[in-house]
Parts: sequence; C-alpha cells; structure tokens
Amino acid sequence: MSDVRYSTFLRHYKCMETTQFNQQILNSSDKLFRLAKSILRNADAAQDAVQDLIVKLWEKRFTLDEVENMQAFTMRSMRNLCLDTIRQQRDEVELPVEYEYKEPNPYHQIERKDLTTRIRIMIDNLPELQRTIIRMRDVEEMEIQEIAYITSLTENAVSVNLSRARQKIREQIINEQKRAEEIVWK
Amino acid sequence: MEMMNELLEKYFRGETSLHEEKELKKYFSGGNVASGHEIYRALFEEFDLELKDKAQVPFKKVLQKQQKPKRIWFQTFAYTGIAATLFLLLWIQLPNATESFAVIHGNRIDNTEFANRYAGKRFTKVTEMLAKSMKPMASFNKVRKGIDPLQNVSDVRNKMDELKDKLQFNK
Repeated sequence: MSDVRYSTFLRHYKCMETTQFNQQILNSSDKLFRLAKSILRNADAAQDAVQDLIVKLWEKRFTLDEVENMQAFTMRSMRNLCLDTIRQQRDEVELPVEYEYKEPNPYHQIERKDLTTRIRIMIDNLPELQRTIIRMRDVEEMEIQEIAYITSLTENAVSVNLSRARQKIREQIINEQKRAEEIVWK
Repeated sequence: MEMMNELLEKYFRGETSLHEEKELKKYFSGGNVASGHEIYRALFEEFDLELKDKAQVPFKKVLQKQQKPKRIWFQTFAYTGIAATLFLLLWIQLPNATESFAVIHGNRIDNTEFANRYAGKRFTKVTEMLAKSMKPMASFNKVRKGIDPLQNVSDVRNKMDELKDKLQFNK
C-alpha cells in the first residue's frame, strides 16, 4: 500500500463515528448555545450559529480526532464564528457593537422584573471579551487555562479581564442599591 | 462573616479558584446570607439561572441531513427490490409462448382455417404482382441474346493481329 493510500486509510479508520460525534459535540450544544447567546445577545441568532457550527464540525469530523481538548476547541470555534457574524453585521449595518452601560431611570427600574434580570442586562452590556470570560468562568465553571485557549489570550490577560468584568458588575449593583435606597427615603 | 468578606473581595479581584467560587455559590444559595452580602445574592442566582438556558432546536436533525449516503443506499436497495418484484410479477403474467394465433389489421384471429385462407389469398396476390413486374425483364433477355455475337469481335481482332505479325516476319 502506498504512503498516500495508507494515510487515507488511517484517516478514515480513525474518523469520528456518529455516536462519538454525538457524545463529544452534540452533548455540549447547550454550552455552545449559551456562549453564542452571550456574544450575539440574541437567542435566535445564537441558535443559527450553533447549527452552522455543528454542520461545519460534522463535515470536518475526519480531522477532529487530532483535537486534544474537544470542548475547548468547539467553544473556541463557536466564539470565532460569532465574532465573524458580528463583523458581518457591522459591515452591513453600522451599529455600535460595544456600548457603555447606562444607569436605568429609577422609575423604569421599578418596572423592570427583578434584580437577576437587571444583572443579566449588566453582563450583556459588558464588552464582548469581558462578558464571554465572566460567563465561561461563573456560569460554565471553566478553568482559566481553557478560557485562555478559547479566547486566544494569556492566562494573566484572562484573569485581568475577569476581574474588570466582576468589578464593573459590582459597581453597578452597588449604584443600583444606592438609588433604590434614595427612592425609598424620598 | 469575615471569611466570606475576604472570599468575596478575592472573587471580585478575579483571584478565586473554582473550588472557592463553588463555596460562594453554595453560601448564596443557602439561607444564612449576611445582610451586608444580600446585594450580591442576585448575581450568583443569575449564574445558576443562565445555566438552565438550553438550546431549543433538535440538533440531531441537522446531522440527519448530513447523513445522506446511508439513506441513498437504503433507497437504492428498496427501489431494486420493488423493481425485481414487479419484473417477476410481469414475467408470471406473460402469455404462453406455445399458444398460436394470427394478428390481422390489429385483430387477434384464433380461427386457423380463416387465417390460412387469408394468407393464401395474400400469397396469390403477391405472385400476380411479381409476374406483372417481371414482364419487362423478358424483352431485356431478347436484347441480350442479340448482343451475344458481338462478344466474338475481340477474338477476331486478336487473330488478325497475329496474322499481321506473321506476315511481317516472312518478309
């Protein structure tokens, strides 16, 4: 058997079977969805993005056996795909992707559902990198090393961004609390 | 309380380990949260709530679209089976080859006598037609017979040439 034929044989022999694919990728579809939703800030767009990613991974399943950490690899691919989607949207319609969080009007605050909803909005309004990192750590409970691989950053940079994100959320929670107390005292 | 204060400060600085963060989540989901920490309860509740966010579309459908080769094989086998069954049924239903009948103007004739008479009439008609068409051939034969003596002209000519040569030699 020639070298080329032998390598092709090996590649097909080693290729990821459907059951293996289901175990490794489909089972993490909820995680992928949450990551996509966090970046795109839209559930429908996140759903489409996850579908696109799964189809792409299925087409490339012959090469996936070479991947050491499948979860980190799929999460990284998901983030890159979402960032591409945002870039395309930015080209089509000139919308600001990152905007500063504005303190809600106290009267509107009362209308809002509850504090957890407001915290979700606070996280959603963080810059993409910070909101992705805080969710990967605090929701998905991922190691700093894994987050560094997914975001293509150093571990130190991840820790810095995580700290900044948490600090911003803390400040906003304290500010909201103060405003709420002021309303009560008035 | 103080230990939790320190842990919270460490958390906001991004220095806690996963194990410590789990401790914090456990603390905030319990009923013994200190009043000074109460404002952060919603933050940890939100993390738990977000974890319940699930993908809605059945992703297995996406993969079923991708697994066409298997389906094609299945369809090919199914269609081949159906075709083979139809062929067998038709073959069984075909008329017996030993059965004899004639077809005249698209009608099936099972009466052998009638068929023979019809065929005889047709043959007579064909013979008559042939005889008529062969008549010009008879005059053609007459002409051919008249031309036959002319075929000897070349022989006479050759003999004359031979005699001529002989005469020249004698001189």
